[in-house]
Amino acid sequence: MNALRTIQEVFSRYKILALLIAIALIWAFFTWQSEGAFLTSRNISNLFRQMAITAMLACGMVFVIIAGEIDLSVGSMLGLLGGVAAVLDVSFQVPFWANLCIVLTLGMLLGLFNGYWVAYLRVPSFIVGLAGMLVFRGALLAVTDGATIPIESKAFVGFGQAYLPAGVGYVLAVLLFGLMVVLTLRTRAGRRRYQLEVAPWWQEGAKLAAIAIIIGGFVSVLNSYEGIPVPVLLMLVILGAFSFMARRTVFGRRIYAVGSNLEATRLSGVNTKLVKMSLFGLMGAMCALAGLTNTARLAAGSPSAGNMGELDAIASCFIGGTSMRGGSGTVLGAIIGALIMASLDNGMSMLSVESYWQMIVKGSILLLAVWLDVVSSKGSER
Amino acid sequence: MADYLLEMRGIVKAFSGVKALNGIDLRVRPGECVGLCGENGAGKSTLMKVLSAVYPYGDWEGSIHWDGQELRARGVRETETAGIVIIHQELMLVPHLSVTENVFLGNEITTRLGTLDYAAMHRRAAELMAELKMPHVNVARPVAQYGGGHQQLIEIAKALNKRARLLILDEPTSSLTKAETAILLDIIRDLKRKGVACVMISHKLDEIEAVCDTITVIRDGRHIGTRPMGELTVDQIITMMVGREITELFPREAHEIGEVVFEARHVTCHDIDNPMRKRVDDVSFSLRHGEILGVAGLVGAGRTEMAMAIFGSYPGRHGLELRLDGQPLRVRSPQEAVEAGICLVPEDRKRHGIVPLMGVGYNITLSVLQHYARLGLIDEAAELKAIEEMIARLHIKTASPLLAIRGLSGGNQQKAVLAKMLLARPRVLILDEPTRGVDVGAKYEIYKLMMALVKEGVAILMISSELPELLGVSDRVLVSGEGRLRGDFINDGLSQETVMAAAIGQIAEAA
Repeated sequence: MNALRTIQEVFSRYKILALLIAIALIWAFFTWQSEGAFLTSRNISNLFRQMAITAMLACGMVFVIIAGEIDLSVGSMLGLLGGVAAVLDVSFQVPFWANLCIVLTLGMLLGLFNGYWVAYLRVPSFIVGLAGMLVFRGALLAVTDGATIPIESKAFVGFGQAYLPAGVGYVLAVLLFGLMVVLTLRTRAGRRRYQLEVAPWWQEGAKLAAIAIIIGGFVSVLNSYEGIPVPVLLMLVILGAFSFMARRTVFGRRIYAVGSNLEATRLSGVNTKLVKMSLFGLMGAMCALAGLTNTARLAAGSPSAGNMGELDAIASCFIGGTSMRGGSGTVLGAIIGALIMASLDNGMSMLSVESYWQMIVKGSILLLAVWLDVVSSKGSER
Repeated sequence: MADYLLEMRGIVKAFSGVKALNGIDLRVRPGECVGLCGENGAGKSTLMKVLSAVYPYGDWEGSIHWDGQELRARGVRETETAGIVIIHQELMLVPHLSVTENVFLGNEITTRLGTLDYAAMHRRAAELMAELKMPHVNVARPVAQYGGGHQQLIEIAKALNKRARLLILDEPTSSLTKAETAILLDIIRDLKRKGVACVMISHKLDEIEAVCDTITVIRDGRHIGTRPMGELTVDQIITMMVGREITELFPREAHEIGEVVFEARHVTCHDIDNPMRKRVDDVSFSLRHGEILGVAGLVGAGRTEMAMAIFGSYPGRHGLELRLDGQPLRVRSPQEAVEAGICLVPEDRKRHGIVPLMGVGYNITLSVLQHYARLGLIDEAAELKAIEEMIARLHIKTASPLLAIRGLSGGNQQKAVLAKMLLARPRVLILDEPTRGVDVGAKYEIYKLMMALVKEGVAILMISSELPELLGVSDRVLVSGEGRLRGDFINDGLSQETVMAAAIGQIAEAA
């Protein structure tokens, strides 16, 4: 009983650890079942490319959920923005950089529009999302005329399909590891200055060694295939930027405050409506990036693009330990949640599991993950 | 005289060692109306919860005899079956259901097939309406279509339908207009003639005087006295209610009071559910540089609503004019109020004060985080420096500024909420029940801090239901009652009796 309690405490404190163990188990299972085919560098590269789109959506969604809202329209919005990008590319020959700017702006505006309805006109976000899901999908059908539009620009296709040269990958890996070391040292110094407990050196060293192995392994595995895929790089950049935003910016702090106690935050003089609306704008920008990546990956804008994308994104956030009551959650958690979902998809497809079984398994995993979260956080509830 | 219908003897009820009730006696004869009087927190509601078995037999000491037999009820259902029905201050009606459905809720008449027998229920409900002199009420219409006064009577109909022999009315007129109150008091007299007994809890002593035969006064959980109404004057009741000695120490220090800095004129707030009723009715006051202005009044006097309106956070319809340094000021949101230098420490700390999952330090910098940031990027060193200064200045006890605030004691949480508002450099600081749920040590520190602030020239508006505290720290005391200003006293040897009398409405517009 006591041992169980201890394990429970460790996991509720280091949620990420539990998630990593889950991934290890899932990968081990699929590797065993596929007789090693799952763990080849080709498939791993594939897996990361598959997860990138869901992960981009999840990075935006996690903040929406932390603030106590939800956005069901992201799948359709992804499709619409991807479709618009394809039309701009094919019918108007817009150069890719301009296309990127236009679609990003459009995504942000659509998101802000959603956010305006939620924050200022006080329509529940569930309803706004449901409405947007229909409206954006309808708009996509109108834009594409219900047909698939193959894109022509090489740069555009590269956005979804290109790989970084191996050397660049290694340089980035070294830079990233250096950054982690600096951050660790700074955190330690900070904690010591404010009389907080500091983890022993061996623990910190082990953590850094593990990070080095993960980064090194990640880059060398991807390099041994074709290199780091561009969408995966984009996803990692977003992960870094958003984690920084969550911890170090006024906006990030306010998102958590709004989600933990909206009234107290408002009565502290914070413009909570603006915070909420901006969040949806950010979500829209993520939809734009995901939509561009999706269109580039398929080399075509499709009227069914992003179907059910919102559910994968939301599931990733919850699997990644974001609280349904708002106020807590991390971007890293959401990304790992997306990795778990993508691993299940990829592994089961590889084992040629029937698609209906895939849906049943994914649904059950979501239910199980959230239940575990509820059970493990029970102790801290009062 | 007839035998007692209800006899409560030596009731003692403790909450984790603290005695909320300490030997209370209450006796009621059939057809008698007993007025239960006492200040906020004297134990009136607790006593009624013991009687109606919200706290079941065994949770308290003493005995209850009902109709000559000992009553050992385990739940509200049993006391209701016996004929004791409590009508709470907040009505328990379902607004979208019809009058009939509400009257019969949980008590429905069914046909042999198990379906609802609407014909029989409507007939009985209409009879009850006639009995309560409301024959014009259409019992098939939803309760929401009728006003507060009617709803109160519908609650009584519901009680009578359960064959109540003792009605407990907890502040029954707090949401009624004068005319509605008169009707209700008439009905109570009528019920008395029919042999129904009442226990009435009310702050409004004129109403108690109008219908009650006997008065029982409790104070700080103790039984102070029971006397026939005829032998008592309202002044005597007030003396019995207050009578508390000022035992706490207040660090009152001499400080200079300057010119008027802030004025609020014609503050009016309408009730959210019943816009016809005014929670605050045309209140005006001014606040001077370095002054502590206390606001006294009973619960429901509209003080919190007034504070919210000034701070731009009152959700219902309201109107007011504000002036800061003689300049007109418009405040449409808490954000604008904080920017103008008006800060509020709210009454309900848990719901409106703290952000529970965040650290103590982050709670403190929540209101003005932008001051510790450039281009939206937080300067962590500057932020932590500000946090540490506040923690040191207010003696907030926490192992680390990063610790989640929900783990702190009430007093330290309150100090953190205060710190948050101090960082915004207020010129006018509104404190709504700043020491509620705070231990004695922290209370003293909060008073000390208030003294330090007024010396710096901050003007403080302090709402408090604790008279000793209010008289202990205020320079001037406003008394509000039923949404109106009933007194404005310089606190120069001001007595609790004077303030209480004004709050209850016995002295009109003194000083």
